[in-house]
Amino acid sequence: MPYLTESLAVAGRILIELGRQRRSLVFWSVFPVSILLLIGTILTGRTGLAFDAALNQAAASALVGAGFFFSALGGTVAILVSEREQGTLRRLFLSPLRGLSYWLGICLAQGTIGLGQTILVYGVGAIWGARFQGSWLLGGLVLVLSLMGYVGMGFILGSLLGRRTEDVNALVATFGLPLVILGGAFLPTSLFPQSLLDWAKYDPVYHMNEALLAVGADGEGWSAIENHLRFLVGFTVLAVAGGVLAYRHMLRQERYL
Amino acid sequence: MLAVENLHKAYAGRPALRGVQFSLQPGEVYALLGPNGAGKTTLVNILCHLLKPDQGHVWLQGQPLSNRNRCWLGVVPQENLLYRHLTCGENLDFFARLYGVPAPLRPQRIRSCLQQVGLGARQHSVAHTLSGGMLRRLSIAIALVHQPKVLILDEPTAGLDVEARFEVWELLNTCRQSGMTLLMTTHLLEEAERVCQRIGILYQGRLEAEGSLDELRPLIPAREVVHIQTPDELGVQDRAVHLGLTQRRYSQGLSFWLPEVLTLEAILAQFQGLPITSIARQPVQLEHIYLEVTRQSRA
Repeated sequence: MPYLTESLAVAGRILIELGRQRRSLVFWSVFPVSILLLIGTILTGRTGLAFDAALNQAAASALVGAGFFFSALGGTVAILVSEREQGTLRRLFLSPLRGLSYWLGICLAQGTIGLGQTILVYGVGAIWGARFQGSWLLGGLVLVLSLMGYVGMGFILGSLLGRRTEDVNALVATFGLPLVILGGAFLPTSLFPQSLLDWAKYDPVYHMNEALLAVGADGEGWSAIENHLRFLVGFTVLAVAGGVLAYRHMLRQERYL
Repeated sequence: MLAVENLHKAYAGRPALRGVQFSLQPGEVYALLGPNGAGKTTLVNILCHLLKPDQGHVWLQGQPLSNRNRCWLGVVPQENLLYRHLTCGENLDFFARLYGVPAPLRPQRIRSCLQQVGLGARQHSVAHTLSGGMLRRLSIAIALVHQPKVLILDEPTAGLDVEARFEVWELLNTCRQSGMTLLMTTHLLEEAERVCQRIGILYQGRLEAEGSLDELRPLIPAREVVHIQTPDELGVQDRAVHLGLTQRRYSQGLSFWLPEVLTLEAILAQFQGLPITSIARQPVQLEHIYLEVTRQSRA
């Protein structure tokens, strides 16, 4: 019960702050939608797909490659860096807040933002007739794993390397953008040379993208995405464990008054 | 209420605390004084259960300080450390949740805490719109929201203007009157003198002196201190040596200890023939005791 109360308090606090700084919320809404429409338009123009089908294809990239990536990963790094800069982390360490509750709270807040982005992306797609083809449950599982993995990664980057606000963009760009591009979020993996494809198989974004594409655009089931899910579960576990360790390291460094 | 027993702490072999011990009674305000590097921050970190001592114990209401009972402590850090985009009420609500204040009690508790610190009308004001003094009072309110038994304040008026400083002192007085035990570190001797019943002077990790101001006064064998301004300091010093007076230099300049209370005329008579620009006398103050204790420790 204390974990739930604490996590809800952390999530609520993040969302209130975000709501009060409306700009970030607007940007995080505009960004995946613009990526969806851009990639949809490119796919329609270059492959001859109908716009609704193109949007179906683009939705996966827009969500896991753009929306979740920048809000969950970039957002988590930004939260940690901002708490560090404001010194509120030290105040949290003075309270009985548990590290796991803190992590769950951030996950919950990012999950709420992610849910909003999902509704927005598929809602905008639906205006042009795009429909989620497969199981929502399976799609939801891919999204939750992606989100948790990103938050874990954000914890690692934010705790170990994020010291100042200026670091956030540099960190996300250096560690994240190559993964997003290699994952096929902005360029279809069908355009990749074999050497890059071999690397892409170790990229979590590739598996998020491919799994969501298979379920959402092609209506595939469990068996078609089993390998992607296995990779994602492994990545999420590693990212979360790494995040917890990095958080503990930060706790040792920052906790003193 | 709070007892510190033989605390030792060293960093890489360099001692930061050496056998510190003292205890605080309920409703008492205790000031911890000491120059930079004396070990105050290390001691506060240990009292807040953020740092483990190498040796010794901290007892809170007769129980060893642990994760379980550390919520009996309220801590006001030196910097305000607030969520600037949250309102005063939201800041308090967040920390009330973390400290497990039950939901039905929270609204009333938040209101009463804000009223206690004089921010009742600012519950819905966003923190970054408050003045420095208000932010400090909000920071104190956060530390009070879970009704701690002991309040630890790290330089509570550092960086505040005179008016805001008086407001904080008044607030601390109210806390004390409500039966709370307070421990504060400060560099302001006036603050310690005005707000605290007992004072501990920490120097190089050792608690060199401890007690109420009256208990500390005998550390200086003088009834009064006289401050003299003169263009002929050497002449005045020579006369003081001849009179057997101990000489010191305080913030008021050249000063001497008087073993008995004398009238100004009597003091002037002792320095007759010397060019005295101004002369003032005052009872032994904390400043004199503090400087003497640190001087002797250094020696």
